[in-house]
Amino acid sequence: MNLLVPLVVLLPLIGAAAALLTGRRPRLQRAVTVATLSAVLAIGVVLVVVVDASGPLVMDVGGWPAPFGIVLVVDRLAALMVSVSAAVLLAVLVFAIGQGLADNDAETPVSIYHPSYLVLAAGVMNAFVAGDLFNLYVGFEILLVASYVLLTLGGTEARIRAGTTYVVVSLLSSLLFLAAIALIYGATGTVNIAQISERVADLPPELQTLLHAFLLIAFGIKAAVFPLSFWLPDSYPTAPAPVTAVFAGLLTKVGIYAIIRTETILFPTPELNETLLVIALLTLVVGILGAIAQADIKRMLSFTLVSHIGYMVLGVGLGTAAGVAAAVFYTMHHIVVQTTLFLAAGLVERVGGTTSVSRLGGLLSASPLVGALFLIPALNLGGIPPFSGFIGKLGLLEAAAEVGTPLALVLLAAAVAVSLLTLYPLARTWNLAFWRPQQEVQEYTSALTAELQDNPYGDTTVATRSLSRLMVGATIGMVTLSVALTVLAGPLYALAERAGSDLQGTSRYISSVLGDRP
Amino acid sequence: MLVVLGAFGIASVLVPALTPRLGTRVFLLAAVPAVAAVVHAALAAPAVFARGVSERVPWVPALGLTLDTRLDPLSWVLALLVGGVGALVLVYCRSYFRNDEPHLGAFAGSLTAFAGSMYGLVVADDVYLLFVFWELTTVFSYLLIGHYSSRRASRGSALQALLVTTFGGLTMLAGFVLLTTAAGTSRLSELATRAPEGAVGTVGAVLIVVGILSKSAVVPLHFWLPGAMAAPTPVSAYLHAAAMVKAGIYLAARFSPAFAETPGWRESLVLLGLVTMLVGGWRALRETDLKLVLAYGTVAQLGFLTAAIGFGTRDALLGGLALLVAHALFKSTLFLVVGIVDHDTGTRDLRKLSGLGRAAPALAVVAALAAASMAGLPPFAGFVGKETVLAAMVHAGESGDVLGWIALAGSTAGSALTAAYAARVYWGAFARKPGVPDVGVIRESPAFLLAPAVLAVLGLAGGIAAPGLDAVLAPVADVLPAEGEVEHLALWHGIGIPLLLSAVTIGLGLGAFLLREPIARVQARLALRRSASDAYRGTLSGIDRVAARTTKVVQRGSLPYYLAVILVVFVVAVVSALVRLAPPLPEARLWDQPMQPVAAVVMSVAAIAATVAAKRFQAVVLVGVTGFGMALLFADFGAPDLALTQALVELVTLVAFVLVLRRLPARLGTKHGSSFRLGRAALGIAVGAIMSVVALVALAARTATPIAVEFPRLAVDGGHGVNVVNVTLVDIRGWDTMGELSVIIAAATGVASLVFLSSRSDRMPEFARRSGLSLLRGRSGRPSADHDDRGSWLLAGRTLAPRNRSILLEVVVRLVFPALIVLSLYLLLAGHNAPGGGFAGGLVAGLALVARYLAAGRIELAAAAPVSAGALLGSGLLFATGAAVVPLFLGVDALTSTYLDLDLGWFGSVSLVTSTIFDVGVYLVVIGLVLDVLRSLGAEVDRQEEEGDEPSLAGRLEAEEQRRWTAGAGARR
Repeated sequence: MNLLVPLVVLLPLIGAAAALLTGRRPRLQRAVTVATLSAVLAIGVVLVVVVDASGPLVMDVGGWPAPFGIVLVVDRLAALMVSVSAAVLLAVLVFAIGQGLADNDAETPVSIYHPSYLVLAAGVMNAFVAGDLFNLYVGFEILLVASYVLLTLGGTEARIRAGTTYVVVSLLSSLLFLAAIALIYGATGTVNIAQISERVADLPPELQTLLHAFLLIAFGIKAAVFPLSFWLPDSYPTAPAPVTAVFAGLLTKVGIYAIIRTETILFPTPELNETLLVIALLTLVVGILGAIAQADIKRMLSFTLVSHIGYMVLGVGLGTAAGVAAAVFYTMHHIVVQTTLFLAAGLVERVGGTTSVSRLGGLLSASPLVGALFLIPALNLGGIPPFSGFIGKLGLLEAAAEVGTPLALVLLAAAVAVSLLTLYPLARTWNLAFWRPQQEVQEYTSALTAELQDNPYGDTTVATRSLSRLMVGATIGMVTLSVALTVLAGPLYALAERAGSDLQGTSRYISSVLGDRP
Repeated sequence: MLVVLGAFGIASVLVPALTPRLGTRVFLLAAVPAVAAVVHAALAAPAVFARGVSERVPWVPALGLTLDTRLDPLSWVLALLVGGVGALVLVYCRSYFRNDEPHLGAFAGSLTAFAGSMYGLVVADDVYLLFVFWELTTVFSYLLIGHYSSRRASRGSALQALLVTTFGGLTMLAGFVLLTTAAGTSRLSELATRAPEGAVGTVGAVLIVVGILSKSAVVPLHFWLPGAMAAPTPVSAYLHAAAMVKAGIYLAARFSPAFAETPGWRESLVLLGLVTMLVGGWRALRETDLKLVLAYGTVAQLGFLTAAIGFGTRDALLGGLALLVAHALFKSTLFLVVGIVDHDTGTRDLRKLSGLGRAAPALAVVAALAAASMAGLPPFAGFVGKETVLAAMVHAGESGDVLGWIALAGSTAGSALTAAYAARVYWGAFARKPGVPDVGVIRESPAFLLAPAVLAVLGLAGGIAAPGLDAVLAPVADVLPAEGEVEHLALWHGIGIPLLLSAVTIGLGLGAFLLREPIARVQARLALRRSASDAYRGTLSGIDRVAARTTKVVQRGSLPYYLAVILVVFVVAVVSALVRLAPPLPEARLWDQPMQPVAAVVMSVAAIAATVAAKRFQAVVLVGVTGFGMALLFADFGAPDLALTQALVELVTLVAFVLVLRRLPARLGTKHGSSFRLGRAALGIAVGAIMSVVALVALAARTATPIAVEFPRLAVDGGHGVNVVNVTLVDIRGWDTMGELSVIIAAATGVASLVFLSSRSDRMPEFARRSGLSLLRGRSGRPSADHDDRGSWLLAGRTLAPRNRSILLEVVVRLVFPALIVLSLYLLLAGHNAPGGGFAGGLVAGLALVARYLAAGRIELAAAAPVSAGALLGSGLLFATGAAVVPLFLGVDALTSTYLDLDLGWFGSVSLVTSTIFDVGVYLVVIGLVLDVLRSLGAEVDRQEEEGDEPSLAGRLEAEEQRRWTAGAGARR
């Protein structure tokens, strides 16, 4: 079965090659891309089932035994991330195809989009399956470089500007990551994650803390935790809707994934847990304040994205199996719901011609369907039960109460407060964009909108009022997926819990990578 | 119960779908599950009162989330109310709405779903499940209040109700989490009987109180309820009289056995309840909109209920429950009556209504029944409940409980106000008023009147059949310990303080009604400037302001600021760890070879110079120098491959930069002030210094043998190559290389994307290729008068202006080109055992193309490389991934290489390692990259320049840079 492990990376790469070679035949190219990602999704689901039943799958690439060669590892956490990501990538691709068809390729040049998108997918998948710290870096590089391309699609001034911020900050984070790898190699003489985990325990504890903090800063930039998060709201919202959707859904979560690995395998000692909790607190609060101040839906969503990263960091920072399980479940939930909301925002932009609530109005009458497709994930993000956002938050709250330290209880309170403060801008959006009649928009003054800031870098688009079936279909698919996370929350959460307990103690991971195996 | 819940769920999906076909008749369908809930409750009654009925389905066992439902007497009473009133209100809606009502389907669906959520709330036996339904009622009430979405007040009130009740709900959730964590169970029936004691219990109780206050509109969280009157009247009747606002009361009753002794619980509920009762009653006397009179009346009554049920004795609970039932019946009746009044006369303003009693006698009778119950007149249910509550308070006071007397005083005053506004409602709606024209003829519709009539009659029946009500409610109240003789619900308790007080309240109430005008004047004078609603608005705009300020401070939109923050975090974090570590600086050997310090000095000087360079080109070259310094270091460490590759990369990078720089202004952006520069320099030096120290410390701490020590042996034994670097790249760590190939591909695609904008423009090379080849063959489509075959060997003669040409260069490049390609192939194939490899080979080939382009321009380039860059990149990646995939089919790990010894007869034997195939992929991708850079940054930019095309990449970059500096300067000012 372990031949499936490299395939999650190889298939998108082969697909990218095929997409490059079929650049002149758009239909074929689209078919190749869709087929590739469907196959990855299928493999991801199989991996979840297999890994859950019979333990981690490990492949020594090139037959070189660990720790010398590169090793790919799929445990429950990785398998879950692979499947959820593949599902999201596929749905966003379908949406993008729909948007591309409707736009007559003016905004999303197909022949650029498909290969870059598949390379991005390969990078994301590689990051999830990497059992080697340097290979994790390579995974990050792949997805980052592909994301540079996707972010600047169309090359408008706003996108170039957003791209500059994004690229430079990402380069800095990669530089720090690379330096951290060099230092870790320097201190331990290895880049194999399992072996680092073994050897790091022999280092002086303060040096462990130092390397640990170093790595966390690098990942913290990618995951967008406060105060390393400022780049995100300035860069994501300017990209085309499907690109923003996939960035918001996946890329920061790869950072979170790396943080989970750091905290559970590389540096499982709890000395930075309190720091993480403080960071989680600041991320939650400052992020959501940013969201409240925004008039632009996409920018507002970008801030909620930052804020909710705090929830995941909270789960990790608690340092218990329950906390990690909640973080894992919340990550899955957030990948799905954040992507869905950005797709819905894409539909809003289609129908309303803008994503700024200071100019939107009457959307519910214009398209009740878009209303439903926005409302359901919005409530989900706002933590309204019975949706998965509530379930994830409940898991975090219970885990925090279980820990019971004053700091954990402060975070419990903050988590609850941020839930309300998330609901506020979302409900305000509903009030203004969906309920408020179009004719009221002109000369509308209200205390509710007095402090709102419009996106300083926003592009204006034209309302087409026509929705392509693929766009709507993909969004419906994502909304269905988000609801499925609620309905199937029982088995999924149990799986997340098993993933969380896998990560308690490093011995299981180490023995599956370095120990004897068939 | 779960089946009933399922029915509600299905109905709320079906109803909107069927609305276009059925119109308002759809409400009858919507009433079906509500009726089912009533029928189910009725059938289950014996079992409920014997032992309780529960159903249980796990949902998220890991979190203790269970679909755990239970009907005990308390739930049973409320389920009956929720289902019964719900069904009647839905039937009423059928007449209230018209078929052309906008968003009717969504409204009907939401109302059905609300009824289902409410039913779920009262039958849930798991605190989290209860919270789920609690929040669902909030969300549906948001949607229902905002039904008239074109009215601004509706939208604002909906948002207000949502935020206030969610605030309370989430606070309550935190309480639930604390309690369940401490108690180890989330079952409501278990928590409600033995809640944890101590600090957790108290905090949990207080948090739950906040939830109760918000949902049941108790001061200070009461203000959302009058606002919610913006909803259609059936919604007010159901949500804001009978159902949702009772959720808090229900919770108070549910938890009273657990928390009656918890400090704070009883006091806060009773005192806040009484304040609410007085505030609400007082306001109800002032309003002129009948619906608002009722709304404030509801606030007052909810306060009374909260005080009674929170009072914590068995008898007060019994009376409170009776009052709860009575209130649900009479208040929803009155709302429905007002709805009919509004529907028939077009106004709800009691100053404009006159003579309606005569015009609609049946309606007036129904209203009178309900108003009498509200006023607490015998023999109505309202009277029975109030009597019992007052008796319980007297009882408590007599046994030495100060709170009993306080509650009694407050309740009496409040009840007097209740009687007064009950009279005011009836008078306001139906009386003839001097000077106001009478309403016209009204045709009363029996179907419309059905629901209020049934509810009003039930209110009367509840009073007359008080012992029956007692039989139902006493088991509920018995959860609290009885002290001494227990009260029973009855119309006649004998003459005592309660009866006396009842008489007093009614008398005072009528007096207040008669003196309404002087009271109105007093009220006008006493009217508060600021209300709780203002506090809500103030909080909200306060949050908005804080949010706006905070965001302005942290989110400056300035890249240098973001980078500085990241680096400062880095410095602080690492330095604080370093200080704790306080490492003795290890004994470091400064260098092994003399070349190392030389390279270090050169690189440092170049790097520092690059940061202060004034011209772009200067900076680029200086950065290039650091790269060459790196190549020197590689060579010195015995890695000629890496040195070669690094040098070639620097060359190609330099070319790419030059291609871009020709379209940018020569000088770098404007200068900054010196303090700014100093700060940046300090930060940069700090980062660099820390990095060096950390590197020393980390390396000195190494105890284990590094894995690299094994690589030379592995390369020969496993990889069949003596070039360790190459074997590492294409075999041992080939997976990394494959990843980096995709990075190159993405980068190349990105460059093309920026330059060609909307398509990868494979048209360009095609065109160029055709014309290039035809030129080459001297068969141009154009008439060739000035055409001579000799010139066709050098294409630039036709395509470049003479002043841009250098014939000598063109000729030399033409001659050298094939040699360079051969060299690149040699490097590719020799790489496994000698310096070289696919990367270096590809770069050499790429440089050959660079030379062709630089010598003779874009057409020459097209002729030199008659393939599209995309095809090169794609096929290169196919080679590499193929080398990874094929072994999988052979049953070994991905990328596993095989060693072949081919005997080629006379030519001798050739040893071939399959990883060379992988290296071919690398080779192709690298050429593709260089070609892509030349095509886009070179050829396409040339073309745009020649043809004066759209603003080019360079133009846009320039504009962006200009903007950035001016923005930066602005931010600093």
